[in-house]
Amino acid sequence: MDIKLKLVQMTHSILKKAGRGGSFPGQLGLKMDENFISKFNMPPIVILVTGTNGKTSTANLIAECLRSYGLNVINNRRGDNLNIGIATLLAANSDSNYNVKANAAVIEIDELTVYRQFKNLRPTHLVVTNFFRDQLDRAGEMETIIRKIQEVTEDFEGNLVLNGDDPNVLRLADTAKKAKIRTFSVCENAISQKTTDEASEGKFCPRCGKPLDYDYYQYSHIGRFLCKEDHFGEIDPYIFIQKLDLNEGWFMCENNIFHPILSSIYYIYNCASVLAVLKSLDLDLALADSVFKEFIIHEGRNEVFQLSAPCVLNLIKNPTGANEVMKYVVNREGDKNICIILNDNDQDGHDVSWIWDAHFERLNLQDIKEIVCCGLRAYDMALRLKYEGLNNLVVIEDIQEAIKYLDEKHLDSYILSTYTALHKTRGILLKEAHE
Amino acid sequence: MNIKVLWMYHDLMDLYGDKGNIEVLKYRCNKRGIDCVVDTCGIGEEKDITQYDLFFLGGGADKEQNMIFGDLIKRKDSIKQAMDEHTAFLLICGGYQLFGKYYKDQDGNIIEGLGFFDYYTEASDRNHRCIGNIAIEATIDQDTFSVVGFENHGGQTKNVLSPFGKVLSGHGNMYQSEFEGFLNDTVLATYMHGPLLPKNPKVADKIIQRALRKRYGDITLEPLDDSLENKAHEIMYKRIVK
Repeated sequence: MDIKLKLVQMTHSILKKAGRGGSFPGQLGLKMDENFISKFNMPPIVILVTGTNGKTSTANLIAECLRSYGLNVINNRRGDNLNIGIATLLAANSDSNYNVKANAAVIEIDELTVYRQFKNLRPTHLVVTNFFRDQLDRAGEMETIIRKIQEVTEDFEGNLVLNGDDPNVLRLADTAKKAKIRTFSVCENAISQKTTDEASEGKFCPRCGKPLDYDYYQYSHIGRFLCKEDHFGEIDPYIFIQKLDLNEGWFMCENNIFHPILSSIYYIYNCASVLAVLKSLDLDLALADSVFKEFIIHEGRNEVFQLSAPCVLNLIKNPTGANEVMKYVVNREGDKNICIILNDNDQDGHDVSWIWDAHFERLNLQDIKEIVCCGLRAYDMALRLKYEGLNNLVVIEDIQEAIKYLDEKHLDSYILSTYTALHKTRGILLKEAHE
Repeated sequence: MNIKVLWMYHDLMDLYGDKGNIEVLKYRCNKRGIDCVVDTCGIGEEKDITQYDLFFLGGGADKEQNMIFGDLIKRKDSIKQAMDEHTAFLLICGGYQLFGKYYKDQDGNIIEGLGFFDYYTEASDRNHRCIGNIAIEATIDQDTFSVVGFENHGGQTKNVLSPFGKVLSGHGNMYQSEFEGFLNDTVLATYMHGPLLPKNPKVADKIIQRALRKRYGDITLEPLDDSLENKAHEIMYKRIVK
């Protein structure tokens, strides 16, 4: 028995009984022993999920699928994806001798934490969803993140599950020579476009620097690309979504039909990566449909609250994610109000300049009546919209006040919240929601 | 009345929302009935730089910066001519560095700059990257005011003879240094992102006046309603300047 581990586990169960989650137990463990995470005897299947967007949804889908096959799975389902969150997850699910009691661990992991913990976690799978501009001040340039992940996967012999339609992700296949490369890709469909105006990181071939040719774009720089010079991007996908109808809400892969609960292109990519993991484990793909059909991370992902009129809460944290949420919002019919909560705490990133890379001009529409700018950087948000020519702006820094304002308008509303405001906003909405 | 803006390498040097500066210039010109014509110039594209009133170059990641550099050097003579003919320059971060003598990277390799000014930049070690909110006190064309922004640079720029401003909070040209940026009669070069202009309408108007000066001489701009701008500025200023 290990005293330090016992202490961490006791702290966890006390906090749990008091109805409090959080990563404090893991923080304690790492404080007492910086090699805490490496001490655990990991289960036979360890799946790490990283990338800029879609980590939480993807990791939860994988975990749910594995559970539906009867495996005992642990996962950090709320997206506590830093060292301390992962340490908490492992400690809470192991015996007093560091043996993790599960058949499989599915761990969402922050892009920078991958570099630090990859070897300690001894993964069998690394799933990489996509790489977009994110919190640049915390993470440094995206280039640095990619290079660091290349470094730790150089001698990785497990399954490297890669988004084959993201040039920034596919680069990892070039350097991970020993890994089993499992790419996933999605066919051209009704929303695919020949050109794009969205913040684009993958313009050039990582091998030769020449511009990449795109056959089609799905969103941002995700799409079917090829370097004519050296054939970077020429893939034989391990999982290929062969047909897709987002309007009717189904897609087809290896002749099975799936019905995802969210009919958006980024969600289809999440599903594709899940199928790649299942296939690598020799599991029957068809069974995943029951999970795709029903399972959804509710918290702040299109979560609906009944105020005087419906209020839909969404998380935004970088240009690509914000663009996708805005596409959804502007396609909803009828008059509506919008509230954008912009914070700049540590986990949001101190640099809010990313709002200038997102297409907020899309909110310049007749049926959007008012836009409430809220949060620690409410005025920065207001300026972003002002300089797009919008003049239906209201600045209310306090979240509670902003929600009250929306409620009083008796109009459908959409709240777009940055990460550190999400929890508080949910709390208020849950309290204010009418029966 | 109009100003012609040349936005250099807009598709490559557009880190940290620097394109927001262009939005602000357009808006503030249009509100005053000044036509703001923005033209872009990519690698290998033929553009007569001397024909423009304002030259704008933003920041880029290392990779992008290396890509544009060869092209920029080829344009050295016409940039010099534009500068002599009083084109205004707004240079952010990477753009700032490239106008100096040289940039020395972490391995000691020296990349020659355009060499218009005496300053030079050396890569910092990991612990001395300058990241965070910043406030300075600047004097542009005889007017003194505070400027707020966000800096994120590894490069340490030394030997700046006429800085843009005095650091009130943050790092500036070097880790924990006293001064930020470079300024002369036509060139404003700075590490400040944010982007720079939305929260600093006074700087934006100075840039517009400088651009106008080339063809119209000194023009007084009519004031605009800057209450949102001033509030955003004030909130950040109060937060970081003790």
